[in-house]
Amino acid sequence: MLLVEGLTKHYGSLLALDDVDLGVERGQIVGFLGPNGAGKTTTMRAIMGLVAVDAGEVTWEGRPVDRDVRRRFGYMPAERGMYQQMKVREQLVYYARLGGRDPAAAGRSADDWLERLSLTDRAGDTVQSLSSGNQQRVQLALALVNEPEVMVLDEPFSGLDPVAVDVLTAIIQDQVAAGVALLLSSHQLDLVADVCSAVVIVDHGRVVLRGDVADLRAASPTRYLEVEFATPTPWRPDRVEVTSDGDRRYRATVVDADARELIADAHAHGEVLAYSFAPPDLSEVFLGAVGRDAVEEPEEPGEPGEPGGPDAVAEVAS
Amino acid sequence: MRHSEIRMIAAREIGVRVRAKSFPILTGLLMVLIIATGVISRVVDNDDTEPTAIGVAGSVPADFTAATEQIAGQFDLDVTVTDVRADAARRALEDGDVDVVVLGDDQRVLYDGDIDEEVQAVVQQAWASAGIREALVDAGLSSSEADEVASPAPLAAETLDEDDEVDGLALLTGTLAAILLFVSLQMFGSYVLVGVVEEKSTAVVELLLVRVRADQLLAGKVIGIGAVALLQFLLAILAGLVALAISGTDVPGDVWSALPMTAVWFLGGYALYSTVFALAGSLVSRQEDAQAAAAPILTVLIGSYILVYIFGYAPETGASRVLSVIPPIAPFLMPMRMAAGAASVVEVVVALVLLVATVFALWKLAARIYEQVLLRRGDRIAWREALTLLRHG
Repeated sequence: MLLVEGLTKHYGSLLALDDVDLGVERGQIVGFLGPNGAGKTTTMRAIMGLVAVDAGEVTWEGRPVDRDVRRRFGYMPAERGMYQQMKVREQLVYYARLGGRDPAAAGRSADDWLERLSLTDRAGDTVQSLSSGNQQRVQLALALVNEPEVMVLDEPFSGLDPVAVDVLTAIIQDQVAAGVALLLSSHQLDLVADVCSAVVIVDHGRVVLRGDVADLRAASPTRYLEVEFATPTPWRPDRVEVTSDGDRRYRATVVDADARELIADAHAHGEVLAYSFAPPDLSEVFLGAVGRDAVEEPEEPGEPGEPGGPDAVAEVAS
Repeated sequence: MRHSEIRMIAAREIGVRVRAKSFPILTGLLMVLIIATGVISRVVDNDDTEPTAIGVAGSVPADFTAATEQIAGQFDLDVTVTDVRADAARRALEDGDVDVVVLGDDQRVLYDGDIDEEVQAVVQQAWASAGIREALVDAGLSSSEADEVASPAPLAAETLDEDDEVDGLALLTGTLAAILLFVSLQMFGSYVLVGVVEEKSTAVVELLLVRVRADQLLAGKVIGIGAVALLQFLLAILAGLVALAISGTDVPGDVWSALPMTAVWFLGGYALYSTVFALAGSLVSRQEDAQAAAAPILTVLIGSYILVYIFGYAPETGASRVLSVIPPIAPFLMPMRMAAGAASVVEVVVALVLLVATVFALWKLAARIYEQVLLRRGDRIAWREALTLLRHG
């Protein structure tokens, strides 16, 4: 199990991480969520040994994570970057070798991942000659070429086209099925809900919510009742907030209340064609947890100076 | 483990630089230029070294030919003496078959327009000495007695303040070594600079630092690019030797013995400057800012180089001695003073010790700053701020 305990980090007077705890089991995908600048990238960099924390510890299988242990970690930084003029296979072999593999094993692993990511025929091309989709695949291969036991992916879905999202999702699921512990951060909450079994939500450097996605949704006191009438029907129940879409479809927000009365009330007003009753989805849970009105737009990687991107750390540090 | 990582990083740098198109082109150009100077020098020399042809017509003192050759030898002049017919003498001179004609019967000498004054002196002296000798033999002296009187052993010549007289070739070699170092440091220093910025401006550095330490990254880059720089330097030296061989120049011993040391100074200078270039690169996040960060280094580099032209030509002066042990200047100035035979062993050792100590201290410093700034993105970090990081780090 990857265990992060009590991570605390100051940048000058700014508290970037405030006692952050999180855990990822083997075979588990944990989604790491939070608004821009919440501390996701700093936490992930701390796990990868790129940020010296003021307090706290990261362990893998009970062992403090040092450079040796980290050889079994795969990492995808929020900002993508590769040697543009280096050939694809050469680059994979280079990182695998730096990660401690012997030349033969590094070559096998590189070939294997090129094959699995359908990049075999681009192996001898320079990175800069590839399409951005293929560059994303190479970036993913760089995280995988060490055959990691732990994967830390910072915004892996950012900038991917739908096909690439499917490829990445399939590979992530393969890896996790094979026993990899996987932590990923993302702005795309619907993707996180599909892929991750558990989430950790941070805000202002502090964990504000954590748990199983289904449990978190169930734990919310809020339920939504959607009612569709067969014919145009005016419906205005007391003491309940209702929004409508025309005069046939209504959505009522029920907080800590019994919905059966409301359903009966709808039936009393007209012929109900359909109704549904559901807890909030993950993005609503997220917004509730961070106390914001709306999720900020997902950012594109590589734009310097954006708040919350990898540059956020630099900004507060400078 | 530590060293194998540095080796891998260095190997990548070597591969990238050597396979880049610019390397063989620039190196080839450099070698061609150097060899061309040898060829030119040979062509120019050849014109000069053609012996001066002296024609002799009519009756001249018995030993005139022998005296001419002997005296010319004392002046380091190459002459040939041939007999010409008196009536053909003027024509031979006009056609350029001979440069000088001595008309014995007329007691006259005819010169080609642009004849050397030394040759004139030789001919006059030979004429006088041969005449005197003939007169002495006629007066009854034996041949060897006449020789002694007519051609006394020349005065042994000695130049005072010989140390101040710097051998031209030593100056030339020293200057060429300084030019080579200057060009190399600019070229490979900028490779180091741009290479570090490339890694920092993209997320490459994050992927690297997950696997290796910042000081290993620094060492691998500086060593790898340095190996390529040394290769180019040695090829240039090789070209220089070829040029010397072609030109047929006599190389003084001091220059030969300074050669291996020139390579040492080259490496020292490279280690010093490239480490600072790497640091400059680590302070910026965009290639556009790189030149600004490197500006102070270039100022020191250019200044040290220019000093060669002032103090390298006066290698015995006190200022030259002091400047040549200062680390950023030593790699330029000291090889020149050594080639001129002006540097004492103590000065060389002091300069080397200072240089190595400075490089070592810089390395320690650079590794610590490097670690702290590589992941810091955004505006250029001022040198002053980088140094304050050391206290907080």
